[in-house]
Amino acid sequence: MTEEFIEKTIVVGNQMGLHARVATVVVQMMRNYECQVTLVKDGMEVDARSVLGLLLLAATPGSELIIKGNGPDSRDAIQSICEIIEKDESDNF
Amino acid sequence: MPSPKDTHTNMILRGIGVSGGVGIGQVVLIERVASDICPCYILQTDEVPAEIQRFENAVESAAQRLKTIKGHIDSDHPLGDHTYILDTHILLLHDRMLYEGTKKIIAEDRQNAEWALSEVMMKITSAFDTIEDEYLKERARDVHFVGERILRILMGLSSEKKIHQLPPNSILVAHDLSPADAAQIKREDVLGIVTDVGGRTSHTAIMARSLKIPAVTGMEKISRMVQTGDTIVVDGSTGIVILNPDPEMIFKYRQRQDIFRNYQQSLMAFGQLPAVTRDGNRSIRIMANIELVDEMDIALIHGSEGIGLFRTEYLFLGREDLPSEEEQYEAYRRVMEHNRPKPVTIRTLDVGGDKIATSLNLPPETNPAMGLRAIRLCLSYKEIFHVQLRAILRAAYHGNCRIMIPMVSCMSEILATKHLIDRAKDELAAEGLDYSKNFKLGILVEVPSAAAIADLLAREVDFFSIGTNDLIQYALAIDRVNEHVNYLYDTLHPAVLRLIRHVVNAGQARGIDVSMCGEMAGDPVNVPILVGLGINELSMNALSIPIVKKLIRSITLEECLELTNQAFQMQEASQIHTFLESWIIERFPKDYFLNNS
Repeated sequence: MTEEFIEKTIVVGNQMGLHARVATVVVQMMRNYECQVTLVKDGMEVDARSVLGLLLLAATPGSELIIKGNGPDSRDAIQSICEIIEKDESDNF
Repeated sequence: MPSPKDTHTNMILRGIGVSGGVGIGQVVLIERVASDICPCYILQTDEVPAEIQRFENAVESAAQRLKTIKGHIDSDHPLGDHTYILDTHILLLHDRMLYEGTKKIIAEDRQNAEWALSEVMMKITSAFDTIEDEYLKERARDVHFVGERILRILMGLSSEKKIHQLPPNSILVAHDLSPADAAQIKREDVLGIVTDVGGRTSHTAIMARSLKIPAVTGMEKISRMVQTGDTIVVDGSTGIVILNPDPEMIFKYRQRQDIFRNYQQSLMAFGQLPAVTRDGNRSIRIMANIELVDEMDIALIHGSEGIGLFRTEYLFLGREDLPSEEEQYEAYRRVMEHNRPKPVTIRTLDVGGDKIATSLNLPPETNPAMGLRAIRLCLSYKEIFHVQLRAILRAAYHGNCRIMIPMVSCMSEILATKHLIDRAKDELAAEGLDYSKNFKLGILVEVPSAAAIADLLAREVDFFSIGTNDLIQYALAIDRVNEHVNYLYDTLHPAVLRLIRHVVNAGQARGIDVSMCGEMAGDPVNVPILVGLGINELSMNALSIPIVKKLIRSITLEECLELTNQAFQMQEASQIHTFLESWIIERFPKDYFLNNS
C-alpha cells in the first residue's frame, strides 16, 4: 500500500458557507474512503469525518480552506470533497 | 412547584405569535433535561469499562430511534427537505468530538457518563459561541438536541418525548422543540404549540405554519409554569396564551376560534381579487416585499400582483467575498421568471460597508444610518455596483423588471447610476449577452431631501417608491431603536403625511407611478389615507395582502378623500391615528379585531 500525502487549497463556493447540510454530505461521503482527510482554516485543523469539526471551522462563503489527505485513496476523497464544498448550490437549506 | 391552577385562573401571558389561529386544550409538557440535574459521581476503576459500554449503548439506541423517526417521515412532509437535519443529528451522535470525547473523560477522569457527556456538550457549545456567522452559531442548538437525547436514555427517562403518542386536544408546551420533535407532530393531535424560546424563523415556527397549527414562541419560562393536563388557550394571531382559563374565557375563545377559521377562509378569497374601490373609481396594485427567493410562492398565494420590493442584500451578507455576476444573475432570474409577466422591483444593494465583504476591510462608521451606504456605497465602489447592474440587466431579459435605487438624496446619484447602466448595457451588447432594453428605473424616496425635490427627480425616473421606514426616521430625526426617543416615531406625523403628499403630487404631475413599500403600506389603518393621497401601488408583507385588498374593495374613493382631507386639518400624529383607527373600528369591527395582532 503506497502512502500518499496530498494537499489542496479551495474556496467555499456555497452561498451559506460550509453549513450543516454540506458538512453532513461530506461526512457521509467519507464513509467510502479509507484515508485520513483533514481541513484547515486559519490554523484550525479538523477531521473531515466530524460534522462538529466541519461546522466549527466557521467557513463562511468565500473563505479559503486547505484540504490534506493521507492514504491510498486520498486523491479521490479530496476530489469528492472539493466538488461538494466548491459547488455553488442555490438550493441550500 | 405548584401548578398555577391552585392559585390563578385566566392568567394571561404574552409571547410572539408565529402561526395564526386559536387552540384550546390540555398541556402536554415536553420536559427538558437540564444539565444541572444530571447525576455526577466518580467511578471505581473497575466500573469504567461497564460505564463506557453503557454510554455506547445509549448512543446506539438514540441513533436507532432517530433512524426510525426519519423512516416514518413521508417525502411530502411539511418540513420537506428540511428533514436532512435528522441525518446531521444521526452523524453528530457518533461524532468524534462528542463520542470519543465523552468516553475519554469517563476513562481518564472516571466521571459517570451523564457528567462526562454534559461537560463535553458544554465545551462544544461554548466553541460555537465564538463563531460570528449567525447560522453556524445556531448549530449549537443541534448539539444540544443530540446531547439531550443521549442524556435522557442514560438517565432512564422515557427515551422519547411524548410527541408520537399524544392524547386528543393536546397543546405542546416545551422549552424548545427539536427538528426530530417537530417532524413527529401530527396535525390531528396537536391543537397548539407554545415554547420558551424561538422567533418567527425557528424550526418550531416554520413547522407550525406549514401544518397550520396555532403557535406562540418566545414565552421565556412557560415550560416551568405549567404541568401536563393544565387547560390552556393559545392564540397564535395575537401571541396571547391563557393558563387555566375559566369556562367563560373558554367560551369566548371557542367563539374566536370559529370566527378566526371562517374569517381566514373568507379572507384568502380576497387575495385573488383586484384592489378596486367599491365605487370603481380607484384601482391600487398590491405587491409583496420579499427578501428570499423562496418567499415568492407565499406572495403569489396571498394574491400579490408582483414584487414591489426584492431586497438583494441576502446575497451579500455573511460572507467574506462578493457574490459573482453569475450567482446574482441566477437568483434574480428565478424571481423574474417566476413572477412573469408581473413586475419585480429589484432594489440595488442597500447596506453599509461594514456589513459586506469582510475582504473589503471597510472601517465601521460612527453613524452608519447617515454614512456610506446604499447608493452612496455603490457609487464609491463602482466595481461592486457594476457587477450587480450587469446581473440585473441580464435577469431583466427574462421578465418584467424594475430597478430601484435606495437612499437617493440628490439628482447626481440618479444620473451617475444611469451612466453606469448605459455602460453595463454597452458591455453586454458587445459581449453578445441577452439583456433587457425595456426595464423601468426608479428610486426609493426615503431621504427627506429627495422627497423635497421630488418634482425635479421625477423628470429622470420612471417611478417613485416611498420607503416609509427610513423616511419617517430621517424626517423626524428619530432613531427607532433608541428607546429614549422612539416614542416620537410616528407613522402618521403631519410632517410625514405632507412629505408623502408632495411626492405623490410631483409624480402625478410628471405622469409617473408612485408606490409605497415599508410597514406603513401594510397596516390597514393607514390604507384609506394612502388611497386618498393618490398612491398607485402598495407593497407589503404578503400576509397583509388579503386584508388590505378586502378593505380597499369595501371603501369608496370619496370616503378616502374625505378622510384624508380631515386628517390634514389635524395637528398631532396621535389625533390622526385615533381618528383613522376609530373609523376602521366603526366600519370594519370584525376585521380590525381579528387582524390587530
